[in-house]
Amino acid sequence: MAETLRRVLTRGGAAWSGEENMPAAGPPLLLLGTPGSGKTALLFAAALEAAGEGQGPVLFLTRRPLQSMPRGTGTTLDPMRLQIRFQYPPSTRELFRLLCSAHEAPGPAPSLLLLDGLEEYLAEDPEPQEAAYLIALLLDTAAHFSHRLGPGRDCGLMVALQTQEEAGSGDVLHLALLQRYFPAQCWLQPDAPGPGEHGLRACLEPGGLGPRTEWWVTFRSDGEMMIAPWPTQAGDPSSGKGSSSGGQP
Amino acid sequence: MAVVLPAVVEELLSEMAAAVQESARIPDEYLLSLKFLFGSSATQALDLVDRQSITLISSPSGRRVYQVLGSSSKTYTCLASCHYCSCPAFAFSVLRKSDSILCKHLLAVYLSQVMRTCQQLSVSDKQLTDILLMEKKQEA
Repeated sequence: MAETLRRVLTRGGAAWSGEENMPAAGPPLLLLGTPGSGKTALLFAAALEAAGEGQGPVLFLTRRPLQSMPRGTGTTLDPMRLQIRFQYPPSTRELFRLLCSAHEAPGPAPSLLLLDGLEEYLAEDPEPQEAAYLIALLLDTAAHFSHRLGPGRDCGLMVALQTQEEAGSGDVLHLALLQRYFPAQCWLQPDAPGPGEHGLRACLEPGGLGPRTEWWVTFRSDGEMMIAPWPTQAGDPSSGKGSSSGGQP
Repeated sequence: MAVVLPAVVEELLSEMAAAVQESARIPDEYLLSLKFLFGSSATQALDLVDRQSITLISSPSGRRVYQVLGSSSKTYTCLASCHYCSCPAFAFSVLRKSDSILCKHLLAVYLSQVMRTCQQLSVSDKQLTDILLMEKKQEA
């Protein structure tokens, strides 16, 4: 999943080269950030990216129906026509049931499994053993889908977790657990490369498969997401013209 | 695979798989390596394999889960795809303290994969769902 996210983030800032055939999803990815840091939007952008690649349906799990469809990164893909299936397990028990019975579901296996709001499901069951089993089941479900997709194809997994400004001890335990199971992580935090600018800093750690990379994510007034590589020099960022997605190398 | 074992463990297991193919038993040098890497868990894991305590449960969907009959006659569920075991030792040593790599049940599962010896059980898709769900504690 880390690779799919990297493509979303890279594509937002540069022309799409489209030369990769059968791109791999990459290792399971954990998306972390405080409330309002754009996790759902990024998750949805990844869903659009994967669905647009036509590898197979995308399964998006979240507790509540999204109030509005987050805009993607300026693509013309219509989410309604892409194969994105939404399911809304209302409780941890229902999420367990969904994952445990995933192999019973008819139809083609998803190529991407997304879960938004893991913290809400974990909060219901503070016991680490239960939390570990839930996370293990997420991974096992994605592994099963990969198996069903056949050789050479993988089902990616991307999970969003809301963090608080100040971590409680329960959070720290869960985080250690999650970092054990999710080799790749992407942190989102409100930040900006220069004074007077705003937006989010997305920091992707692909878990040993590549260097850490950072992007600057902003949202236009119409909700569209703009992505640019994070300027490496803090001194003089190319100052925030709105068209920051216009082809930064 | 999502969660990967440390490279040295992966290497040992695949070397063992090749060696076992030839001689149908684990050569001593690998037993030594196992003991070195895993301490007493190695002996306990080998014991579990010898006693045929590992069962691979699969359903027509292709989904699989392992169950290991532990020493106290308790059955533990192991997910090999992501290295998870329902035993308390896993929860404590592996998850909390992070000083152990695997519990003896998971090690037994990997050894039985290497040696291609474990009980096999076929169940229906629905039964597999129930087996997986059983691990979730019943809500009061």
